[in-house]
Amino acid sequence: MTGRHAIIILCFLVASFSSQNVFSGTTPIKSLVPKTAPDGWALRDAPEAFTGETLFEHIDGQADLFLQYGFKGSVSAVYRNANSSEDKIDLDIFDMGNSLQAFGVFSRFRQEESPAGIGLDSYLGDRYALFYKGKYFVMLQATDASPSTLKRLAQDIESRISDNSAAPKEIGYFPKSGLKPGSIEYFPDGLLGHQFLKRGFKASYTENDATKTDNKTVSEGRDFHLFLSIFETSQQALNAMKLFREHLSNKGTVAEGIPMPFGPDTLVGVDPYQGKAIVAHKGHYLLGTVGFKQDKDGEQRLAEFMRGLK
Amino acid sequence: MSSKKIGRRKFIKGASSAVLGLAAAPFWNANLSFADARKAGTPQYRTLGETGLKVTEVSMGVMNCSDPSVLHRAFDFGINFYDTANSYMAGRNEEMVGKVFRGNRDKIIIQTKFRVNAAAKENRQSVETSLRRLQTDYVDVLLGHSLKNPGDVSNPALIEFLQTMKKEGKARFTGFSAHTDMAAILREAAKSNSYDVALVSYNFTHSNELKEAVASAATSGIGVVAMKTQAGGYKAKDMGGLSPHQAALKYVLRDRNVSAAVPGVTTIEQIEECAAVMGTALSEQDFDALRQYQSHLQGRICTMCGGCIGECPHGVAHGDLLRAIMYHDGYKNDKLAEEVLHTGDASQKIKQCLECSSCAVTCRRGINIQAQIKAVHQMFS
Repeated sequence: MTGRHAIIILCFLVASFSSQNVFSGTTPIKSLVPKTAPDGWALRDAPEAFTGETLFEHIDGQADLFLQYGFKGSVSAVYRNANSSEDKIDLDIFDMGNSLQAFGVFSRFRQEESPAGIGLDSYLGDRYALFYKGKYFVMLQATDASPSTLKRLAQDIESRISDNSAAPKEIGYFPKSGLKPGSIEYFPDGLLGHQFLKRGFKASYTENDATKTDNKTVSEGRDFHLFLSIFETSQQALNAMKLFREHLSNKGTVAEGIPMPFGPDTLVGVDPYQGKAIVAHKGHYLLGTVGFKQDKDGEQRLAEFMRGLK
Repeated sequence: MSSKKIGRRKFIKGASSAVLGLAAAPFWNANLSFADARKAGTPQYRTLGETGLKVTEVSMGVMNCSDPSVLHRAFDFGINFYDTANSYMAGRNEEMVGKVFRGNRDKIIIQTKFRVNAAAKENRQSVETSLRRLQTDYVDVLLGHSLKNPGDVSNPALIEFLQTMKKEGKARFTGFSAHTDMAAILREAAKSNSYDVALVSYNFTHSNELKEAVASAATSGIGVVAMKTQAGGYKAKDMGGLSPHQAALKYVLRDRNVSAAVPGVTTIEQIEECAAVMGTALSEQDFDALRQYQSHLQGRICTMCGGCIGECPHGVAHGDLLRAIMYHDGYKNDKLAEEVLHTGDASQKIKQCLECSSCAVTCRRGINIQAQIKAVHQMFS
């Protein structure tokens, strides 16, 4: 083989390897950790990787949450400030297997909407930066660092992630009007605290509650929720509806003989812990609203939700 | 059935029980007394070490809780002790506890944890942040989170900090949690006389060494709280219908050196299942369930060694049926598993097996053959 042939073969092999990484979105997780950081911060020790078996050594009982969400592996690193040895930034990058599960974990950590424009969604606080992109959930916690430092470090990490999977489509189903920013959450199991609802999404909405006090009308925002429970088949969804009805019959109340604007399988009642509830069925979904005060608000919001569901 | 076979079966049963850490015979109650039957499922209390706090023996680990309704249900059941931590969900877990129990603070006991930092100011900040999120000016129990070795326990800076928190009224009692090297850590804590409470992973898979260390800590006055009582979480859906969770909890609570268990539940159904354990005793059926659960956890699948002892009087080809489990659990190949089950009169034989009151075949490795065949039936029926 001539030298020229060897070079051609080598180039072919390099191109194949690179394209595999690009198309598969598979990146060694440790390579996502920047070796340098802004504003005098530096990587302290070599990043440490964790598996499902060892994650608890790093984050204790919280490991269970990540395992519930399909955790595949993670890497952790610590940055120190050259000017202040006590201060540090802890970085954790979690491979959650897919963007739905990455969003799910992100949604459980995010406190409110404070987007930083990083990844598919992000949160930037005084000492926390969180984001998810593709199958990765990234968390930065600082003892004392400026939000701009956290943001720049997060952006650096984001640029290394080649997984460009889209955000879960179900996020777009929730009506925008009245939606509390940053409130959509995904649960892999136990939606609304019920075994029978399995996995799904929940979002918070604000309902204006007008009350009269001393001849003045005072309007206060009150939260209620929309939820979307996802099953594999329509029959499974109907089975879950039956269990929900039994739950309300046993522990709450079921309203009988009232109009069913959402189809014959609609359930209306009062849940002992969620408050007023309307639950409807569409395809392999159960969707509903809980905790509203004004029936009209609950029905309107659910109707809008159902129209937007594909 | 020959007396020799009965003798071998008892031996195998005893060996399995020994793996579970105790002898088979006297530790279950086939019949509850009338007084015991009345207690079943009602809140039962134990004193948390020498703190004087009366905690429900089944309490709640809040970490995995998916909805505030689960906390409300636990409270309505009478559960009064709740475990959370500063780091859980970046503070949202503590916030949920604070919100749910606003107005009922005096009726519950809150335990939270902080990541132990070399800098005392960081520890203080962590505790103060927790108090704010929990909407309280004190916690009942404050733990140093996840100590790793006996040296951490005897760390004078940690001990001093915990004492300061007590003096300032931010914590009524203090302690630590640990996931690793727990026996050594508990022994060190027992000698130290500086801790009121210890939260450790403790379940039916753990060794006698840990059991003895728990006893030693309890004797020294430390209130021992058990977590990870399920030895791997709620995975009933993977176990062909087997649901050993209550048995696992009863096993832990049978140890009177444990003041409380804090299973990490996610749903209302789970907290109800756990709470119903209070006032009940470990039964022979529970023991069987734990043996099967342990086989499942250890991934003990029939390896086709051909060493089964005894023969089925109905001619059930148990080897073939166990092979279906191997394909399902071991190879993750349900197609092959189904092929086995659709061969010949396999499904009829399964029915015969399930109707049989006792199994004449025993496994040298302790696999419960009839239970495995039942699991196959449930998986594929």
